[in-house]
Amino acid sequence: SCATNNNNMASHGLTYDGCNFFRQRLVLSTLTGKRVKIRNIRSKEDEPGLRDFEASFIRLLDKVTNGSRIEINQTGTVLFYQPGLLYGGSVEHDCNPQRSIGYYLEALLMLAPFMKTSLKATLRGVTNDPTDPTVDLLKSTALPLLKKFGIDGEGLDLKVVKRGMAPGGGGEVAFTCPVRRTINPIQLTDPGKIKRIRGVAYSARVSPQMANRIVDSARGILNQLLPDIYIYTDHMKGANSGKSPGFGLTLVAETLNGCFLSAEMSSTPQGQGEPMLPEDLGANCAKLLLQEIHRGGCVDSTNQSLALLLMTLGQQDVSKVLLGPLSPYTIEFLRHIRDFFQIMFKLEVQKPLEDERKGGDKVLVTCVGAGYSNINKTLK
Amino acid sequence: PTRSESDEDDQGVSTGALRWKENLQLKASQAFLQQQEEAPNLRKLVYGSGLDMTGSADEEEPMEELGGLFRISRPQKNRRFGANAVDCSRFLPDSFYTWDLQEMLNSIRDCFVTGKWEEDQD
Repeated sequence: SCATNNNNMASHGLTYDGCNFFRQRLVLSTLTGKRVKIRNIRSKEDEPGLRDFEASFIRLLDKVTNGSRIEINQTGTVLFYQPGLLYGGSVEHDCNPQRSIGYYLEALLMLAPFMKTSLKATLRGVTNDPTDPTVDLLKSTALPLLKKFGIDGEGLDLKVVKRGMAPGGGGEVAFTCPVRRTINPIQLTDPGKIKRIRGVAYSARVSPQMANRIVDSARGILNQLLPDIYIYTDHMKGANSGKSPGFGLTLVAETLNGCFLSAEMSSTPQGQGEPMLPEDLGANCAKLLLQEIHRGGCVDSTNQSLALLLMTLGQQDVSKVLLGPLSPYTIEFLRHIRDFFQIMFKLEVQKPLEDERKGGDKVLVTCVGAGYSNINKTLK
Repeated sequence: PTRSESDEDDQGVSTGALRWKENLQLKASQAFLQQQEEAPNLRKLVYGSGLDMTGSADEEEPMEELGGLFRISRPQKNRRFGANAVDCSRFLPDSFYTWDLQEMLNSIRDCFVTGKWEEDQD
């Protein structure tokens, strides 16, 4: 019956305007088999049409699927995408450095469990920049989230082989993910208390002292709330340090129930603005983590969409997850899930009790999974 | 500049990476959060008032191209906002420097094992 469902879904396409939410649309199109057309892509700008990084993203999508049909008009303002079979397997890709590897990886994290063959992706490009979630953040938050949904085992791994700061890049990441025929429904409503904070202060092509200065200033703030804090320093040298100098910090708070809340900051890319002092970066990043803890929930704000997708694709049973306030990106993702899956979530705001010191309002999200089964896998 | 000068400069605008985003989006982000908190019904804010699950064919532009296979699926006006903005998953912070205040630190103390425990969880 699931296959029938998927066929029905494939019977018509969806049309959108503009380049925003580009990846959401193409990912959901690929998972449902629905064709998608995106028009008016930067059509009113001086340089209209798709950018190089979007073309690079499409090429990556083409590599992990078989038989996708992609048509782009001459000005690049209209894209038509008819998804093929999600194949997976071994894939190598040079990610256009206009966006960091995290931009591409966020989509692969959503697609990988549903491929015919386990994905083994080698991605080259920028590992850390201030715009997108870094590979360090995704490694320490998205992977544990996948595990909560039963996507785990030795095959699940994300390795930073070489670091490559923006704008030059030159980094390399290895991502492997097992496939699943079905996804378990989940009840994730109590994050539990935060027991420790871990972090990575990284530096490349700058003095190794930079990382130590970041660590000291971040600790100074976080130690007011918790003693168990350890921030590793990761200084890459020579061939493993990429093409551009830079530094940054990724912080992760881990709860007793195995939930992860994260925050991060990367130094201003060389030539793109005033340089940042490592002390300021460390302190500001620590404050971002406090902000994220104030938002709270069982999934951090960066990974809300991934959690919602896995709930949507779960077995036909109730899934419940407690989130912090929904990000604008997440709200649009919910709308896209409705478009592609005809599934709407129940959304309940939970206000903290008066004497509770646990940050702001939370949102309890509930849905009944689509009962999606990985037809790609069963076709073997 | 000396360290103290640059510290002073940084008080109003955040340093480096987040500055441009803050200028562009801080207000929008604040308004957005407020909207979410005040929404009598979050579902309405997300999905709009209609419960039209079929998308919408009654748009300004009718069926077109490829034998009418495509539907326009933007029933809500607000979905046009930022149609060509940057596709990025990050949820930018609404407040940044308030975390220097003790009362802000106090507002999250019970999120930690060092904070107060509910009676049934000791």
